Amino acid sequence: MARDERVQSAIDNWAPRFIANGIDYNDFIRVTNSVETWDEWCQKWCECGAMHEQMGEQAEAAGNYESAAYHYLHAAMAYHFGKFLFLSHPDQLRAAHERNVAVYQRALPYFDMPGERVAIPYEGGSTMYGILRKPWHVAKPPVVILVPGLDSVKEEMHNYGNVFLERGMAVLAIDGPGQGEMEFEHPMRHDYEVAIRHAIDYLEQRPDVDAGRVGLMGVSMGGYYAPRAAAFEPRVKAAIAVAGGYNITGHFDRLPRLTRDAFIARSASGSEQEALEKLASFNLEGVMEKVRCPLLIIMGRLDRLIPPSDAERMAAEAGGEVELWMFEDGNHVCNNIVYKHRPQMADWMRGQLRA
Amino acid sequence: MARDEQVQSAIDNWAPRFIANGIDYNDFIRVTSSIESWDDWCQAWSACGAMHEQMAEHAEAQENYISAAYHYFHAAISYHFGKYLFVRHPDQLRVAHDHVVRDYQHALPYFDFPGERVTFPYEGGAAMPAILRKPWHTPKPPIVILVPGLDSVKEELHLYGDDFLRRGMAVLALDGPGQGEMEFDFPLRHDYEVPVRYAIDYLESRPDIDARRIGLMGVSFGGQFAVRAAAFEPRIKAAIENCGPYNQATNFRNRPRISRETMVHRLKAANEEEAQQKLQQFNLQGVAERVSCPMLVIQGRRDRLVPAEQGERIAAEIGSSAELWLFEDGNHVCNNIPYKHRPQQADWMRQKLLER
Repeated sequence: MARDERVQSAIDNWAPRFIANGIDYNDFIRVTNSVETWDEWCQKWCECGAMHEQMGEQAEAAGNYESAAYHYLHAAMAYHFGKFLFLSHPDQLRAAHERNVAVYQRALPYFDMPGERVAIPYEGGSTMYGILRKPWHVAKPPVVILVPGLDSVKEEMHNYGNVFLERGMAVLAIDGPGQGEMEFEHPMRHDYEVAIRHAIDYLEQRPDVDAGRVGLMGVSMGGYYAPRAAAFEPRVKAAIAVAGGYNITGHFDRLPRLTRDAFIARSASGSEQEALEKLASFNLEGVMEKVRCPLLIIMGRLDRLIPPSDAERMAAEAGGEVELWMFEDGNHVCNNIVYKHRPQMADWMRGQLRA
Repeated sequence: MARDEQVQSAIDNWAPRFIANGIDYNDFIRVTSSIESWDDWCQAWSACGAMHEQMAEHAEAQENYISAAYHYFHAAISYHFGKYLFVRHPDQLRVAHDHVVRDYQHALPYFDFPGERVTFPYEGGAAMPAILRKPWHTPKPPIVILVPGLDSVKEELHLYGDDFLRRGMAVLALDGPGQGEMEFDFPLRHDYEVPVRYAIDYLESRPDIDARRIGLMGVSFGGQFAVRAAAFEPRIKAAIENCGPYNQATNFRNRPRISRETMVHRLKAANEEEAQQKLQQFNLQGVAERVSCPMLVIQGRRDRLVPAEQGERIAAEIGSSAELWLFEDGNHVCNNIPYKHRPQQADWMRQKLLER
């Protein structure tokens, strides 16, 4: 089968991420093998999502709620990865996005650590949505805010959430500006501390979580947002940045076509030139030194999107206690070696938040 | 890289099983890519196991017990798949086996549903080992006995166990004769109702388990054992068999070479001919028809080890108490479509054991 370049690039780069974040291995092989041109990508994944969604509905109708949660999560992930970089067809993207949000929400009450969808007041009367999940075995737990990247969304953070929850921390996964539910109306913004400020304001209103112990974890582009927010939001007590860029425009030409297109769309730019201008402010120069809370930086030496030296620079300039975990065998977000950093980062965060 | 046939066959056939049962996808790719000849197989997987073991020990020393359980489990499963068919080198097999047992046991108290290693009397003064895990949210729960196959062991059934535990059932995973800890001194036996009888005698002695509600699940060769035990052990209230052979002797010649070698080894046969003879008894003719409890038969049409007709025959001969789930797209044990039967079978079992 002659595949087009974008499909091949997706398959080569993303198997570890898809699988680590909840796509069944066999689905990955079967669906990607069935895709010949990029135009089919979203539809094929949506068919996979529909199959799981149907199993979810059957289980739910039969009162088999554990199974319903399992199937709905698989459905949501399949829809999400159908849509995540599918900017070429906005209608399909939008439809898959809505399935992702809807089926994940159906799973929420049935997860072993159940969750709720929360509406967080944001600027100008608009709303930022998050998923709040709490460990049932800890009263008034600390909370870790989970920040997605350029093409991930709050739902994709589900398995990350589990490692914190198992260790007694609540998690709030958000769709910030440019992400998931906010990507249609709100462009991505460099001053992500604004989104985090609204999130923490919201957490302070809740009697069931300890807003005095808030951690932050971001992946990929979220690995830039996390130190940025930690620099300007003193209520963040500890932060983890996985594979974040120090300066996005500095290595924009490293990025695959699909990723550059996503930057253009999610920064609401008309062209690559305009995107580059807008992205110039996504830069941690003069910012890192303002990060005073403990900071954990995780980076893979084999990262093909973000230069590993960005992480070294972030660590060198951080204004407080900092740890750099550089993995020689790690790819972007170290999704190929999840067992070397995911449980470990959750243990690190537990130590920082005294969970 | 020129791979030998056994390695290529392992890679082609087993990715879904390894991954469904706990091997990290990236480990599967990396380790199998590094292996050229079958002789390197156990060592390469053991090196992977050692890496996870080291992370586990580190986590445990730091009192990060949840991480320790996670890493010890990955270690145990890596060692297990290093040894599972590696009968050509018994010394290496034994070393890896010891790591499986030890690492898994290290993890037991730290799992979200913790477990304990139990032993109970078996024939001739021998002891049979098993892993018992209970759902902390259900007092005196029903229990499902998990039966491995020719090359699986109690530890490999961990994730199956989780499905039952989450739904309020305890699990007891066995190493029966010819399996895991019992494979060194005891050959496989066709009358698997005997080890199951000992297991249930033991469960009846435990006040924390409801031994009046006992289910049974077996995979692959364990599927045959499940039918056999359900036929002769009336204390079993419901059973699941997944891709078990109706008649193992007829399948023998079509099995891949390493699988035949393993069969010879675990039957304690001297050669393939003797194995073939011993396998005559591993036959459900006249047995399946005696099953009277509800029996779920799961079979993949694309099973290359056990022809799908055997699953259909098992269901047909059991008759009205059987339910057949035949998946057109399923391979052996349907490990390539876990989402189509694993949660569903646990729901099925819950319903049967709650009905009493």
